[in-house]
Amino acid sequence: MATVLRSKIEPVMTQTHAEVTRDIVRTLETPPRSYYLAVFGAVFLLLIGIVTFTIIIKDGLGHSGYNPPVMWSVYITTFVFWVGIGHAGTLISAILFLFRSPWRTAVYRVTEAMTVFAVMTAGLFPIIHIGRQWIFYWLLPYPNQRYLWPNFKSPLLWDVFAISTYLTVSTTFLIFGLIPDVAAVRDKVTGWRRFIYGQLSMGWQGTDNQWRHYSRAYLYLAALATPLVLSVHSVVSWDFASSIIPGWHGTIFAPYFVAGAIYSGVGMVFTLLIPLRKHLRLEHMITDYHFDNLSKLTLLTGSILFYSYSMEYFVSWYSGNTFEQTTFFLRPFGAQWWSGWTMITCNALVSQLLWFRKIRTNLTSLFVISIFINIGMWFERWVIIVSSLSNDYVPWAWGVLNPTWSDWGILAGSFGWFGMWFLLFARSFPIVAIQEVKEMIPMPRLHPDAHGGH
Amino acid sequence: MSDEPETPPMDRRRFLTVLGASTATAAAVSGCSTSRVEKLIPYLVQSEDQVPGIPTWYASTCTECDAGCGLHVKTREGRAIKLEGNPDHPVNRGKLCVQGQSALQGLYNPDRIKAPMVRNGSAWQEIKWDDAIARLAAKLGPAQGKVAVISGAGRGSFDDFLGEWTAASGGKMVRHAPHDLEAVRAANKQVFGVDALAAHDFGKARYIVSFGADFLESWGPSVENQRGFADAHGFHDGTMAKFVYVAPRASLTGLNADEFVAVKPGSETAFALALANAAGAAGLSQYTPEMAAQETGVPAETIRRIAKEFAAAKPSLAVAGGIGAQSAGAAELCAAVNLLNQAAGNIGQTVLFGADLQSGDGQAALDALAAGMDQGQFQVVLVHEANPVYTQPRSTGFAARFRKVPFKVSTAMVLDETAALCDLLLPTHHALERWDDARPRAGITGLMQPVMEPVFTTMATGDVLLKASQKAAGPLARFNAPSWEAYLKARWADIARARGSADADGFWRESLARGGVYDEPAAPAAVKVASAAVTYTKPAFEGDGEYTFLPHVTTFGDGRFTNRPWVLELSDPVTKITWTSWVEVSPAAAKRIDVREGEILRLTSPHGSIEVPAYIYAGLRDDVVSVPLGYGHTEYGRFAANRGANALDLLGPPKAGGFLPFVATRVRVERAGNAYSKVPKTEGVPRQLGRHIAEAMPLAAAAKGLSLEEWYKGIGEPLGEEHPPVEVEAIKGWRQMQVGRTEGHGRRLGNYAGDHPMWGMAIDLSRCTGCSACVTACYAENNIPWVGEDDVRKGREMTWMRIERYWEGGEADKPLEARFVPMLCQHCDNAPCEPVCPVYAAYHTVDGLNGQVYNRCVGTRYCGNNCPYKVRYFNWYKYNERAFPAPLNLQLNPDVTVRARGVMEKCTFCIQRIRGAQHTARLEDRELKDGEIVTACAQACPSDAIVFGNMKDGDSRVAKIKRDPRGYHVLEDVNTRPAVTYLAKVLHAGSGQRAEG
Repeated sequence: MATVLRSKIEPVMTQTHAEVTRDIVRTLETPPRSYYLAVFGAVFLLLIGIVTFTIIIKDGLGHSGYNPPVMWSVYITTFVFWVGIGHAGTLISAILFLFRSPWRTAVYRVTEAMTVFAVMTAGLFPIIHIGRQWIFYWLLPYPNQRYLWPNFKSPLLWDVFAISTYLTVSTTFLIFGLIPDVAAVRDKVTGWRRFIYGQLSMGWQGTDNQWRHYSRAYLYLAALATPLVLSVHSVVSWDFASSIIPGWHGTIFAPYFVAGAIYSGVGMVFTLLIPLRKHLRLEHMITDYHFDNLSKLTLLTGSILFYSYSMEYFVSWYSGNTFEQTTFFLRPFGAQWWSGWTMITCNALVSQLLWFRKIRTNLTSLFVISIFINIGMWFERWVIIVSSLSNDYVPWAWGVLNPTWSDWGILAGSFGWFGMWFLLFARSFPIVAIQEVKEMIPMPRLHPDAHGGH
Repeated sequence: MSDEPETPPMDRRRFLTVLGASTATAAAVSGCSTSRVEKLIPYLVQSEDQVPGIPTWYASTCTECDAGCGLHVKTREGRAIKLEGNPDHPVNRGKLCVQGQSALQGLYNPDRIKAPMVRNGSAWQEIKWDDAIARLAAKLGPAQGKVAVISGAGRGSFDDFLGEWTAASGGKMVRHAPHDLEAVRAANKQVFGVDALAAHDFGKARYIVSFGADFLESWGPSVENQRGFADAHGFHDGTMAKFVYVAPRASLTGLNADEFVAVKPGSETAFALALANAAGAAGLSQYTPEMAAQETGVPAETIRRIAKEFAAAKPSLAVAGGIGAQSAGAAELCAAVNLLNQAAGNIGQTVLFGADLQSGDGQAALDALAAGMDQGQFQVVLVHEANPVYTQPRSTGFAARFRKVPFKVSTAMVLDETAALCDLLLPTHHALERWDDARPRAGITGLMQPVMEPVFTTMATGDVLLKASQKAAGPLARFNAPSWEAYLKARWADIARARGSADADGFWRESLARGGVYDEPAAPAAVKVASAAVTYTKPAFEGDGEYTFLPHVTTFGDGRFTNRPWVLELSDPVTKITWTSWVEVSPAAAKRIDVREGEILRLTSPHGSIEVPAYIYAGLRDDVVSVPLGYGHTEYGRFAANRGANALDLLGPPKAGGFLPFVATRVRVERAGNAYSKVPKTEGVPRQLGRHIAEAMPLAAAAKGLSLEEWYKGIGEPLGEEHPPVEVEAIKGWRQMQVGRTEGHGRRLGNYAGDHPMWGMAIDLSRCTGCSACVTACYAENNIPWVGEDDVRKGREMTWMRIERYWEGGEADKPLEARFVPMLCQHCDNAPCEPVCPVYAAYHTVDGLNGQVYNRCVGTRYCGNNCPYKVRYFNWYKYNERAFPAPLNLQLNPDVTVRARGVMEKCTFCIQRIRGAQHTARLEDRELKDGEIVTACAQACPSDAIVFGNMKDGDSRVAKIKRDPRGYHVLEDVNTRPAVTYLAKVLHAGSGQRAEG
C-alpha cells in the first residue's frame, strides 16, 4: 500500500474478511418494502414505454414530435445519453484498474452494472427510432441470399458495431468480475438460490491456481475494455461529425463526446450510489473518500466540456462560415435558447462547484449536482441534435420541434427499463466487490498504527 | 426559355392520343367501375386501345374554369390517372394549372353523390335513375313556364341545349359565374360598345400595368396569361418587359411585378385616368398626376414616371378588374383602362377584341331570378354546375329565396350548399366521364369524351333532360334525341357541314383526336371609342371599421376547389398557408392591433363577422385587411365543410342592377380574446440570410452578359464563402483529386464510366412566377400523399417539389421583393444523403440520379438530416392509406410505388418517365431524342421555366441553358455538385418599389 498517496479521508478497512462477506451478503436478503415500491415504479415506467412503442408500431413515428428538418430528436438524444452513461463504468472498472487506483474497488461493481444496463437501454433506441422497426436487422451484416450488404461507409453502421462490441465486452467483464463474489454468496445461501449462484460461479473454489488465472484474465479483459472507453463514444460522435450539418460537423467531436460521456456517467454513478449506499447500509464501505475521487473525475471531465463548448463557439466564429455562425448564434439565442443555456449551466458551470472540497464531500450537494449533470447531459445531446437540425442550410425548411407524449413515453420507458434491471441486480448480486474489498483490508500487524497514514 | 425546342416533344404522346381517340367509343365500355364489378376478369379478347401497362391518352377539354384549356388525359387500365395540357390547344399550349390538374380529385372525390337521391324529410334516400327521371318529369309537366335554371356551365352545345330547353319549358335561365369579369365587360360596353371580353397578348407587351388584375391566378385564362407574361417578362436576348402592379394588396401577380404601387382601395381609377391623360386620351385633363396622387396616396412623381415609361414602351398593356379591384367603381376603373389602352395604341395590338371570352350572365340576372323565386314565379328550379347558395354573400338572402321554390333539383356532383337545400339530386357525370364540348372563345371549340367508365351511378345531365323531356311531353317533347351523345354528334355534323366537310364522321373523329376545333384567331375586331365619358367617383365604403376589407382569390377560386386535398395541401403561393383561411394584416397594422401570427382576429362588418388567424404580410397596405375566398363551406364534402371562414359573410348585397362589389366594406378588427391557432404553413424562415439561394441580378448586368460571379465581384460582394487564393487552389486540387482518384476504376464521383446519359435540370427564375402548377403535377404523377393540417403545422408536408418564396426588403425604406425558387432534389453528384444510409437505400445510379429504394429503406432518416436542401420527406404515418380514401386511390399512377409508412421518399426526376422513354427508344431501336423525356413539373410549368434533359449531350436544350451566364447552383460551397442549375432572376432597376401614402 502506497501510503504516501493516501488522501486524508481515505478510510482504513477495519472489518475482518468475514464481516465484509456478511455485510455484503446481507444486501441480498429479503428486501424491505421500499425496494418493492422502487421496482414497481420502474416496471410502471417501462410499461408506459411499452405502450407508447406499441402505438408507434401500430401507427408510425408521427406521434412523436418530429418536425422536419428535425428528423432525429428525443429518441436519438436519449440514445446518446444512455451510451454516455455507460462510459463511466468501464472507465472506473477497467482504466482505473490498470492504473491501480485502489479507490475504485468500492464502487466499480455499481458502475459496471450501470454500464451494462445503460448500453442495453441505449441499444433499444436505434430500433425504436427507425421508421420500420421490424426490419432493424437489415443494419446487420448477416449472410443472405440476395447478397445485400450494409453500407460500411455509413456512420450508423459503425454505431451498430460500436454498441454491440461494447455491450459484449462490458457484459463479459461484469459477469467475469462477479465469479468469486457469486461463489462467496453461494457458500452463504441455501436451497434453490444456492443452486443458481452455484451455476453462475462456474465452479469457483478459490484455489491458488484459479486465482492466478482469474487475475491474469481480469487484467487482459481490462486492457481489452480500455480502448472501448475511447472508441465507442468517438464512433457515436461520428454519427454527427461525419455529416455536413453545421453544429455536427466538428473535428472536436470525438474527445468532446468521450469527456461528456464520462462526465455524464459519473454523474449517474452519484445519482445511483448515494441512495443505494444508504439503502443497503454500506456507508462504511463506500465513503466520502470515494465520492471525493469521483468528484475530481467529474470536475476534470466537466472542465473539458467547458473547454469544448468554448472551442465550438470560437471555431464557428473563426471559421467565417455563415452557416456555422448562424447555428451557434441560435443555440443560445434562438427559439430553443433555454436548452442551450440549460446545457451550459448544468455542465460547464455547475461542475466548477466541485473545486470545493466541502461540496465534494457533502453527499446532499453531490446528489443535487448529479441531477444537474444528468439533466445537463441530456440537454447537451438535445442541443447538438435538435437545435443543429432546426436551422441548417435552407432557411425555408427551418422548423422548431416540440416533443409530444410519445417522446416522453419512450424516455420514461427507458428509465424504467434501466431502473428495473439495475434494481434487480442490486438485490441479486453483491453490489460491492467482496473479493476486491477484502484485498484492501490491511494485513494483520502487531502495531496496526505504525504504518497508518493518520 | 430562350432556346425553343425545334419540334414539340410530344410526338409519341400525340400518336397515342390519336390512337386513343379514334377508338374512343370503345373507351366507354372498357375499364371497370368500383360500384359494379366484384370479380377480376382477365381480358379474353383484348380491347384494341387497352394494353395493360401502356397508357392510353385521350384529348379532352378542361371545364374547371372559363378558360377552356385543352387536355390530354392519361389513362391506364381504364382509369384516368393524369391530366396534362394539350400542346395543340391555342389557349394553354400543353400546360395546365393547379386547378385543372386537380380535376382528377373532382372525378374521384370520395364525397361525390353516388346515385340519384330524393329528399326524405331531413335525410336523403337513394333511388333508381328511372324513378328520378320520372319524378323530375312529373314536376316539369305542370310547371310549364315556371322553370328556373341556374347554370354555371361554360358555353358549348350543352349550354345551347339548356338554353333552348329552358325556353321551351317557358322558363328562365341564368348563367352564374361568381367571379365573372363583369366590370370589365360593362366597361367594354360603355367605352367601345362591345358587350364582350377581349383577349390579351401579354407576350407582345413591353410594359404591363395591372390595376388589381390578378392575371396569373384568377383573372382571365391564367395559363395563357402566364405563358405570355413569362415570354414578355422573362429575361431573353438581353431584355425583358417591365411590369407594374397597382393595387392595395400584392397578389401572386403583384409579387411578380417589378414595381408594386400600393394605392388606396378603390382609387385605382384615378391612377389609370392620370396615365390615360398622360398618354393623350382626350377630355381627361383634370386627371393630373397631382390629383391622382391625392386620391391614391402615391407620390405624383411616381405616377408621372410610370406614365412616361408606359407611353414610351410600345406596345404596352394595361389590365384591370377582378375580385381584388372589384369595388363599386370597378366599371369606371376598367373604362379608364380601356381609354388608356386606346390612347397608347394597344387596342388590336395587345388587347384583342373579337375573341369574346366566355362569361356569365351577371349578378343582375341572378338577382332578378332570385326575386322571381321570392315572388313564387317558379315551381321548379334546376341548378347545374353552380352553387349560388355559397357563392352569393349571406346578406343577399339568396338561400331564403331559393328555399321558396317548391321543387328544387340539383345536378351537383358533390352535395354542396345549394344541393343540400334541394329536393332531388341528379348527380351528373364528371367532364371526363361524358360527351360534351366547350366554346371558351371565338374560334375554339373543345371536345370532351368519356375517357373511362363512370365512377359512380351518375348520368350526364343532357341525358337526364332528354329523358325527362320525353316523359314530360308537352313543348319539351321536341327534344327527342335518343341520347346526349347522339344529340352532340348531330350538332357536330351540322358544324362539319357548315365548315364544308363532306365526311361528318371523319370530321368528328379528327376533331376528337385533336381535342376540338381550333381555328386561327381572326384578325382582332376593330373597335371604336363609343363613349369617352369616364369619370372617377371617390370610393365609398360601408361600415365604420378602421380597415377596408379586401377579399382575394387564391387557389380555391370561388370555392369550387376547396374539396380537393391537392389544392388544400398546396401552400398558397403568396402566404404559403395550407388547409385553412387566414387574414392578412400589414406589419404596421399588426403592431397597431397588437396581434402576432396565428392569433385569432375577429373581423366585423355591418353584414357579419368572422374569426380567422392572423398572418402578417408586408405586401399589403396598412389600412387594408385581406381574407381569401373559397373557405367556410358548410357542406361540400369532408374536405371542404367547416374549414376556415367564409369571407363573403362580411360583404353586403349588390346594388340593384349592378355587379357584386367585393371591395365595399370597412371592418373592425380586434383580437378574439387570447385565442391562438398555429398557422399551418410551409414557410420556415422567409429570408435568405445571405445564403445565395434565390439569386437575382440587375437587368443592366444581365444584358451585358455578366455571369453572376462577375456581377458580384463588380459590386464588391462575394458570391458564397470567400477564400484566399491559396485556399481556392487547395479546394480545386481536392476536388480534382476526388474525381481523379477513382479514374480508371469505372466510377468518378457519381459519374460512371461508359456513355450513360447524365440527367440534369435547369430552372429559369426569371420565368418562374411561383404559380405552383409544378407542385400539383408532381403530386399527381408521383402518388404523393397529402398529410393534412396538423402535420403541415409540424412541417411534414411531402412536397417533393416545393416553391420557396423568399422576401427581400419589405422594411420601411426598402421595397418588398418576392423571389420564388422551385426546390426539388438536386440529384447531387456528391450527394451527402448517399454515404450515410446504412442499407444502401439511397444510392447513385449510373445516369446521375440519386436513387431511393423504398423497399430497402429502414427509415433511419439520416439522409434527410444530411441533405442540405432538405428535399427528403419521411412517411411519419400510414399516409398511403390515409391520403387516398376510395375512390381517390384509382388516380394513383401504377408506374410509381405508393410509399409505405416509415420510409424516406423524394423527387426521382420522374424516373418512371425516364425509363419509359428509354424502353420505348430501345423497342424502336433508336437513340433517345432531346426533349423526349419531360418531367411532370417541366411538363406542367405554364411559363416553361423548367427544362430537363441529358447534360452530357452538349446540344441538348438543358446543356445549352446550363451554360447561360446567369446559371448558378444553390449552396455551391457545400460541394454537393447539384444536377439542377438555376438561372438568376433579373430585376429592373429599382425593382419591387413600393410607394404608399
